[in-house]
Amino acid sequence: MSAADIVATSVRKVYHKDRIEIPVLDGLSLKIDAGEFVVLMGPSGSGKSTLLHLIGGLDSPTSGSIRVGEYNLERMTERELTAWRSRHVGFIFQMYHLVPVLTAAQNVELPLLLFKMSSAERRERVATALKVVGLADRTDHRPNQLSGGQEQRVAIARAIVTDPDVILADEPTGDLDAKTSEEILALLNLLNSEFNKTILMVTHDPRAASHGQRVVHLEKGVLEREERNPARPAMAAS
Amino acid sequence: MALPLYYNWRNLFVRKLSTSLTFAVVATLVLVLCVLLSFAAGIRASLAVSGWPQNVLVLKPGATAESTSIITPDEKGRVVQAPGIAHGADGKMLISEELCTQTSIPRRAGEHNMANVAVRGVDATAFGVHPEVKIIEGRRFEPGQLEVIVGKAARDRFDNLGIGGEVRLGRQGNRLYKVVGVFETGGGAFDSEIWGGRTQISDSFNRHFISSAVLRLDDAAEAAAAISYLNGPFVALESKRETEYYEDLSKTTRDIVALTTVLIAIMSIGAAFAVANTMYAAVDGRRREIAMLRTIGFGRGAIILSFVTESLLVCMTACLFGLAGAMFFSGTRQDFLSNSTWTVLAYELKITPTIALGSLGLACLVGVIGAIAPALRASRVHVIEALRKA
Ligand SMILES: Nc1ncnc2c1ncn2[C@@H]1O[C@H](COP(=O)(O)OP(=O)(O)OP(=O)(O)O)[C@@H](O)[C@H]1O
Ligand SMILES: [Mg+2]
Repeated sequence: MSAADIVATSVRKVYHKDRIEIPVLDGLSLKIDAGEFVVLMGPSGSGKSTLLHLIGGLDSPTSGSIRVGEYNLERMTERELTAWRSRHVGFIFQMYHLVPVLTAAQNVELPLLLFKMSSAERRERVATALKVVGLADRTDHRPNQLSGGQEQRVAIARAIVTDPDVILADEPTGDLDAKTSEEILALLNLLNSEFNKTILMVTHDPRAASHGQRVVHLEKGVLEREERNPARPAMAAS
Repeated sequence: MALPLYYNWRNLFVRKLSTSLTFAVVATLVLVLCVLLSFAAGIRASLAVSGWPQNVLVLKPGATAESTSIITPDEKGRVVQAPGIAHGADGKMLISEELCTQTSIPRRAGEHNMANVAVRGVDATAFGVHPEVKIIEGRRFEPGQLEVIVGKAARDRFDNLGIGGEVRLGRQGNRLYKVVGVFETGGGAFDSEIWGGRTQISDSFNRHFISSAVLRLDDAAEAAAAISYLNGPFVALESKRETEYYEDLSKTTRDIVALTTVLIAIMSIGAAFAVANTMYAAVDGRRREIAMLRTIGFGRGAIILSFVTESLLVCMTACLFGLAGAMFFSGTRQDFLSNSTWTVLAYELKITPTIALGSLGLACLVGVIGAIAPALRASRVHVIEALRKA
């Protein structure tokens, strides 16, 4: 599947707490090219996760529009968004969110159960995904038999097994040590450069941020500034 | 597509205590249901309201059943003057004088214990008064011979009551009667009885008065007149329509079944609550997992289905265990002494396919009803909130 671009236009997201409006995103606009690796930074509570959830169709903006590839999310029903997510978006979380009672392979297989696909093809796809993340020899391990880094690799395999066009990662290295973080980031880089996935990654870690082609800074609900990474020029433009 | 079954199966072992409690409750429910259902099946004969509306049964006032009643020859002489009595093909009045008693005889081979069986001495008119009695094997007994015919249910329940078999009857069990026929009434109370010639039975049991008389009338509409004559001062006996008599007899049994049914209903409600409790715990413990599943594209329907499936898995396995437990006890007989006829209605715990299916049905019903509310809660888990780090 080809990568998709992401265009968020004048996105506002307002939460209500005791009838008081809390604007989390305040007219934010952001464009991400297809195949681009963008890092989202900002202080805690600035709305990074909120933006990621909106782009992933887990929630709807109060106003404004979000388009991912050919899909205008604000025009879709909850049911349509759910089906769209299963095919086009791969989520990676800080907490991995693996199912503890399932093996690595079964965890990776989960999203494929929503597809019309023979079990042979599913098995093949799962094997490929686990190979990409370097866990071909851990297929039958349960999450509690894996290290944090390995768990996150399984989660990444689960995110890519459906071959989505967008990967949304919320602090994927937040729980990992420096060395493991580097490995995970290298893996995301690989997905971006080799498999041409559009990646939007939230992080607090400047070292992690250096893997992106572009870093955008979110503050008080708007994009405060952005910088291009000279070490990793965007190749989408070429 | 749905979440795989092994996902639910393994999750059951995550909360072992809660799951096993629900399991125990449902298994017990199934066991009790099996007991009730086989009980109901075993006493169906006595539940069946047999008899004819144009037949009038005459007993001694105050007698609760035929076996405790005595009618003297004097009284009998007045009974025959009741209005509306029909005549048989041979021109004789259709009045059946019957002697009811009971005796203890061995049960089928392998169970070396005795049980009471009702013995009825009748004349040839009895077959005109009770036309539902059909000989299905062999022939009728000869009056004056030591011969009996046996009801189908009695033959199946007791030892050596097939054609050619012999049975000891009498006060000291000292007369050897030969079985010459098997009869059937289509599920009526007679099916559990042994019938012989009245004078022979009277002799063997040393009972000289009949217990009851059954009058067959030309028309059911004449029953009221006959009854008012028989119950009136001139005869002073107690008479009832035959149908009414059996209705009264089966009342106690029906009450027991009704009571047990209520018990089952209450237990089912309790079991549904146990299931709900377990499933709520499961949902609350897996909010993040549910949120993750919703994130990667499982719809609300898939989540609901998954939790209902999980509940059904517990309930169905528990049902199988309950059935296995019932099988283990099956074959044990409980004697249910009918307090009105003083004969034993044998009741046997027996798992028939119908009972197994009924139990499975109830277990599934409990599983679904108990899981609905928790499954709905699961489907409404707020994805973003649940995904937030703790
Ligand atoms: N359901 C809600 N109701 C009210 N306020 C909310 C709700 N969800 C989020 N918020 C608020 O929105 C703001 C942004 O939250 P968000 O999780 O997007 O921040 P973040 O940038 O991801 O922070 P962090 O770096 O700590 O993860 C926070 O102030 C949070 O309290
Ligand atoms: Mg966040």
